[in-house]
Order: sequence, then structure tokens, then C-alpha cells
Amino acid sequence: MSPFDNPSSSVSRLEASLPCDWQNIRAAKSLAEAKRTELRNALTGLDSEDTSIVVSGSLARDEFTKGSDIDWSLLVDGSADPKHHDLRRKIGELIRPLMTKPPGREGTFAATVFSHDLVHEIGGENDTNQNTTRRLLLLLESRAVGRDDAYRRVTRHILSRYLQEDRGLWRSSRYHVPRFLQNDFARYWRTITVDFAYKIRDRAGQGWAIRNMKLRMSRKLIYVSGLLACFCCHFKFAGDPQVFTDPGRNKEVAEYLQELFDMTSLEIVAHVLVDMPHLAGAARKIFDSYDGFLGIIADEDKRKRLEELKEEEAEKDGVYQEVREYSHVFMSGLLEFFFDIESGMNELTKNYGVF
Amino acid sequence: MMRAHRLQAVELSALRENELVPLLNDLDSLDLHQFSYVSIHAPSEFSAAQEPTIRDLLKGQLRRGWPIVMHPDTIHDFELWRDFGPLLAIENMDKRKPTGRTAHQLASIFEKLPNASLCFDIGHARQVDPTMTEAYLILRRFGGRLRQVHVSEVNTRSKHDVLSYSSILAFQEVADLIPLPVPLILETPLTESQMQIEIEKVGSALPVEQNVAVA
Repeated sequence: MSPFDNPSSSVSRLEASLPCDWQNIRAAKSLAEAKRTELRNALTGLDSEDTSIVVSGSLARDEFTKGSDIDWSLLVDGSADPKHHDLRRKIGELIRPLMTKPPGREGTFAATVFSHDLVHEIGGENDTNQNTTRRLLLLLESRAVGRDDAYRRVTRHILSRYLQEDRGLWRSSRYHVPRFLQNDFARYWRTITVDFAYKIRDRAGQGWAIRNMKLRMSRKLIYVSGLLACFCCHFKFAGDPQVFTDPGRNKEVAEYLQELFDMTSLEIVAHVLVDMPHLAGAARKIFDSYDGFLGIIADEDKRKRLEELKEEEAEKDGVYQEVREYSHVFMSGLLEFFFDIESGMNELTKNYGVF
Repeated sequence: MMRAHRLQAVELSALRENELVPLLNDLDSLDLHQFSYVSIHAPSEFSAAQEPTIRDLLKGQLRRGWPIVMHPDTIHDFELWRDFGPLLAIENMDKRKPTGRTAHQLASIFEKLPNASLCFDIGHARQVDPTMTEAYLILRRFGGRLRQVHVSEVNTRSKHDVLSYSSILAFQEVADLIPLPVPLILETPLTESQMQIEIEKVGSALPVEQNVAVA
């Protein structure tokens, strides 16, 4: 059975309704599921009610390809224990044979992450680039492999902070978009774009093309899904605005967002588009181009080409130009979607996405 | 000690399997007249082979009209307990237990025991999810089944402790979903000198009628 035969998959429903054939998206999802099963089997018994082994990146987004790395961390939400250090090393030892390349250099992954900074340090000087990244990736592209008790507690805590401290959300107003959360998504997205320039400089241009394409596609997609999840709060409760004014019901908003963030970024986008048939053209652009992008990333030769390509060679490089074209179509689809008048997306985008 | 505080609810606990028979043997001789609400806590662990005997022993007490509090993870054969009806109170579990912790997990248990009631352990619910979203979901979904509430702070080692300021604030978040006069059963081991302070803390966290029901 194809993974997209699952009737709960919005991507599958959208694919069938257009109709389209997104074979690279399907293949990446299938590979991600297989790799997560492999990890789960290898790591059985290492997690607990206070520790979750969390994967991020393409493996969590269901966009895994043969060249993908495994971004993982040990999330601790419980008493400090010196043995957590040994546990992290053990997990690393067991994951290493399953990896095709080492995790990123920034130290964000393959690390022990404690819940306190993620929950308490939102904004301010102690909210480092690394802390922001870990916190927002936990919401936008992560999954627990194995026991998810700690993972669920922490993500709920983080959402609870963003929502409870959002003064505007709980007042009667025209729009009900969690602006505190949305602002942090926007900040994270802009941080990634600035860090792109930093990393290119720091690494003397090495890996420029692949980073550029990931920025235009997969990194942009997770921002899009975060922004969309915030907009979904407005659409979801448009007929039931009391949820925002009745203090006894505000946990329903947190629960709804948690359900959304349990989906992958592509699923969140499809979840909205599948109910907006007038945006079929935009949906095709977004998903066709993303499918094409994943096809290139999954092609070992093309991926290698992008990894090694020098900036000055890009204009004449066929692979780069192919994926660049996908990124333009992707952007065009997103603009049609987010500035659509009929659905009201344009008003939300103007009010929350611009200023 | 309980008389001095004019408590009206009590739970008689046989958490260990070997405590059950002595407790049941003593029931007729216990002076429980001050209590308007009495429940029995069934053993928290027994084998499948012991289950029919324990079920028969507890079924013999149903004539008293006292709810029997059960941990859902102890049940091997749900059919055996179905005819207890609403006098079987299923308790939501702490984070160590494999099931019965969340509203979603409780739903599958209540499917098997459609008439059972709920013993809501607010300390367990907070330990599982300190944002109290899970507590909210349990009460919103199963509030109609609510028979009694277990109150305590459940610490990181899953032990019952006195209420902290944080737990009081957390409990207040769902207090409106606990209707009066649902009996509140205080599970924290207390000395006599701690009792009044703890009762006052419970009163600041949850709705407690005058003269009611903390034990």
C-alpha cells in the first residue's frame, strides 16, 4: 500500500483531487518512514517517560532521501541525571551506522537538550540562535522516535507559553492569529536567511548551491507551514469566536495547534489547500515544484553536483538552473495562495505577514 | 484525625493485593458514620489468575453502593468488570504507566467499560501534562462520568507530595470543570499538623463546599 493511500493524508487527497502524480514526495515519505522504523528498532528501550529521542529535518518532514543526514537530539524533561551523558553517547553510537554523513557543525543536533531553556527562554538575550532553532524546529519539523511523553509535554509547554502570553489573541478582534508565535516563526525564518549569508562567508562558499536551494524550498516551506498554522487558528474558530473569550476554553486552541504541528509542513499546506478548490492552480505550482525539487535532491549525481557547485558556475549549470526554476514556480504558487482574496488569505498575510 | 477536620469523604485503600481481604473483613466493624461518601481503592497490581477472585471479592461489596476505584492497567479481562457499571471508577494514570494517561487512551478503556465512571487524579494529569491541556481534555470529554477526584502533587518520582504553589496554580486552570459536590480525596501522606494546611491549599486550588469532602 502506498503511504499516501492513508485517507487522513491531506497531501494524498490533494494529489487525487487535482489530479497530480507526486512520486518523489511519495518516495521520500516512504523512505522516511522506513528510516524511522529502523531507528526505532535500533533505539528500543533507551528512552523513558522523561527522555525522548527526537529527529528533525528531512527525516521528520517525510522528505528523506538517500543523501539525507539524520538530525537527532535527546530531549530531557525531568530530573538532571549524569547518566544522560552516557545515554546520549549510546544513542549516537547506535545511530552512527545508520547515517550517511555526520550531523551539522553547529552543535544543534546529536546533543542533549533540556526542556527548561526551550520553555523559559523565549526572547531576550538568553534565547540564543541555537535555543530558538531547537525550540521552533521542535514545533515545525520534529518527531519523537519511540516514547513521546517528554516530547509531548515540552511542545505543549512551548505552545502554552506562546498562546497564554499573547495578549491580543484573547481579546475580541477581527482576526484571531497567535501573533507572538507567528512573530517568532518570522524571526526564525529571517534568522535562517541571515545565517545563510554567514555560513557562506564562514565556509568560503562551500556548499553554496545546495544551501541556496534548501533555503528557497525546504526552509521556506517550514516557515510557510508555521505561518499557515497561525492563520488556521483564525479559520478554524471563525464560527466559534467564544473559544478566544471564554478562559475555560483556551486550551482548545493549544490542542488544535498541537494537532496541526503533528503534521508535516507539506501536510499542513495541503490540509488548507484541499479545502480551497479555487486555488488548484497555486496548489499545482507549490506541490509540482516541490516534487521536482525532491526528485533532484534524491538523485545522487544531481545532489552531488549541487553540493560541489561554485557560485560562479551556477548561471551555466543545468542542474542548478533546473532547481532554480522549481524555486521560482514554488514562490509563484505561494504568492497566489497567500495573497488570495476569495479565501481571505490576503488580509491575513497583509496584517500578519507583512508588518 | 479525620473527625477533627469534619471530613465527609473517605477512600479505603487496598493498593497491595494482600491488603484486600483484611480490609473487606473489617468493613462492617469500621466506624464510617461521619462519611457521606466512601469508596474502595482496588489493588494496583494483580495477575490474570488472581483477577476473577479479586473481582468476586469486590463485587460482593457493590451492595454497599461504594465506588470501586481501579487502575486501568491492572485489568486483564475487561469483561469481568463490565457489570460493575458506574460503581467501577477508572482512574487516569501517571506518566510511568503505559495506558490510561490521556483522554485518548481513556476513551479506548471506556469503550470496553461503557458504564464505568471516572476517578480523576488531577496530580497524575498534571504530571503527564503540566500545561493542564490533558486534564482539560479528560474533564471535557469524560466530565459526565466524574465520580471523585484524587488530589495531590505527584512529583518527578511519581510519589504523592503536598501541594506546591505551582500545582495549585495548575489545578485552578481546570477547577471550573470539576462540579460541586464531587468528593475530593487527598492522597498525600500527612501528619496531623499538616492536615489543616493541606486542606486549605486544596480549597484554594479546587472548589470545596463548606464541610465537604476531603479525605
